[in-house]
Amino acid sequence: MTAAIPTIAEAARLIAARRLSPVELTRACLDRVHALDDRLHAFVHLTEERALAEARAAEAAIMAGGPRGPLHGIPIGLKDIVDTKGIPTTCGSRILEDNIPAADATCAELLATAGTVLIGKTQTHEFADGGPSFDLPRPPARNPWDTGHFTAGSSSGTGAGVAAGLILGGIGTDTGGSIRGPAALCGIAGIKPTYGLVSRAGVAPAAFSLDHIGPMAWTAEDCALMLQALAGHDPRDPASADRPVPDYTAGLGAGIKGLKIGVIHHFHEVDYKVSDGVRRGIDAAIATFRGLGAEIREVQVSPLQDWGACGSLISITERAAAYEEWARTRLRDFSERVQRRLMLGALVSGVDYVQAVRRRRELRAELQAAMAGLDVVLTASQTAEAPKIDEVPAWDTFAAPSFTMPFNVAGYPAITVCAGFGAGGLPVAIQLVGRPFAEATVLRVADAFEKATPFRNARPALA
Amino acid sequence: MPADIADEALDFLLARAGLILSDAERTELKTVYAGIAQMAERVRQPRGRMAELAHVYNFTAADVGEDLA
Repeated sequence: MTAAIPTIAEAARLIAARRLSPVELTRACLDRVHALDDRLHAFVHLTEERALAEARAAEAAIMAGGPRGPLHGIPIGLKDIVDTKGIPTTCGSRILEDNIPAADATCAELLATAGTVLIGKTQTHEFADGGPSFDLPRPPARNPWDTGHFTAGSSSGTGAGVAAGLILGGIGTDTGGSIRGPAALCGIAGIKPTYGLVSRAGVAPAAFSLDHIGPMAWTAEDCALMLQALAGHDPRDPASADRPVPDYTAGLGAGIKGLKIGVIHHFHEVDYKVSDGVRRGIDAAIATFRGLGAEIREVQVSPLQDWGACGSLISITERAAAYEEWARTRLRDFSERVQRRLMLGALVSGVDYVQAVRRRRELRAELQAAMAGLDVVLTASQTAEAPKIDEVPAWDTFAAPSFTMPFNVAGYPAITVCAGFGAGGLPVAIQLVGRPFAEATVLRVADAFEKATPFRNARPALA
Repeated sequence: MPADIADEALDFLLARAGLILSDAERTELKTVYAGIAQMAERVRQPRGRMAELAHVYNFTAADVGEDLA
């Protein structure tokens, strides 16, 4: 089964050469869903008939005139906080159990226009927060590398689905690491683009000023192909950036000789010590980049906990504001984990929030200065390999600082890619961060790393 | 900022937020208050009154009617 899972780029080449049928590819994905998803719970809603109809339409169009682009006929999943016209969108919550949107989110519309085939809606932590929760209508997604372990979240279903080959790519959202966390723990690639690059319109908010939408896929190259379809100005999103979209694949394969990579060692060595497996992955990655001709420099910024405090206070407050009405009237309809998060909102004062937003400006300026003369910055992505799914702390906001939140605070683009395997054979990852709107550079570096290392050759055994 | 919170203060904040919690939940929330207090302390820097927020804005062409020109 493993050999039958192509990347998006591989599938696109085969489809364009008429050597792979989108219908066969879609059926293969659906077969894997039926064989594996009772153990993974990656999907909350399958759109099987629509998928087959879209695949047949794609095949007919490709046979008649060639593919619309590299995503034509590619099976994907959409996180279940992304509105889909006529298709249930529950946000993982019993509050929206019967919600059927009247229109597509912009990202869903763009991927459909690119010719993707929608396999279904993927599991999410409730309203992209908390998790794993066992007190919701559907069980949480499980990690394909070991189903006793957590996927991270909140884009848990997309992470599990891509890793297990149920889909070739999908949409995640990221408020403090919800794309990069599942990408790291599930051993795939996921990019949180620059704030404003991909429209948030039609996607349920977690925290307005920290929310990002982005692709998750097996490789950085696949993320680039998806991002190409997703990036661009959207007047429906007030934060949407109105600037030209570059070719994200143009630099792939060009090598990284001479590029300057900063490493924030103190994040994972001083501020919060990562597991041995993660540490080894980071050290080996630095050696790989040196071997590829990159120049490595040391970078120092404020402690991880400062970034975490800033991001958490903003996140807690904006979430409490977004969901205030339901918190007051339907608190018990949320999962226990989200109830706890919403309760925290009562403890943050208006002045605390404003001080956090002022701190945010300082931290962003600090990162801007630290990145002067650098192409990208490398950091840890997660503290450790995936924990057991029943051992995730109830108040995880305070359990350990997040290595991903700093770049939601700054709004800078950041990708997580697999950097090997640690304890229990579970994936470990690195995070690469670029300057605003420099996704092409981030993807180029990540792609070079993946192609110089063997980690893309191993799929979870159950796949 | 104190690292703990009095019962009366917590009750006031919860009432203002419109949240009705059980005694067990109130007790649990009190145990994590120190974490919030620590975060609130961390974002307070000696910055003076002129330091701006990250969330400032500019008027767009549509705001000022340039799109009509």
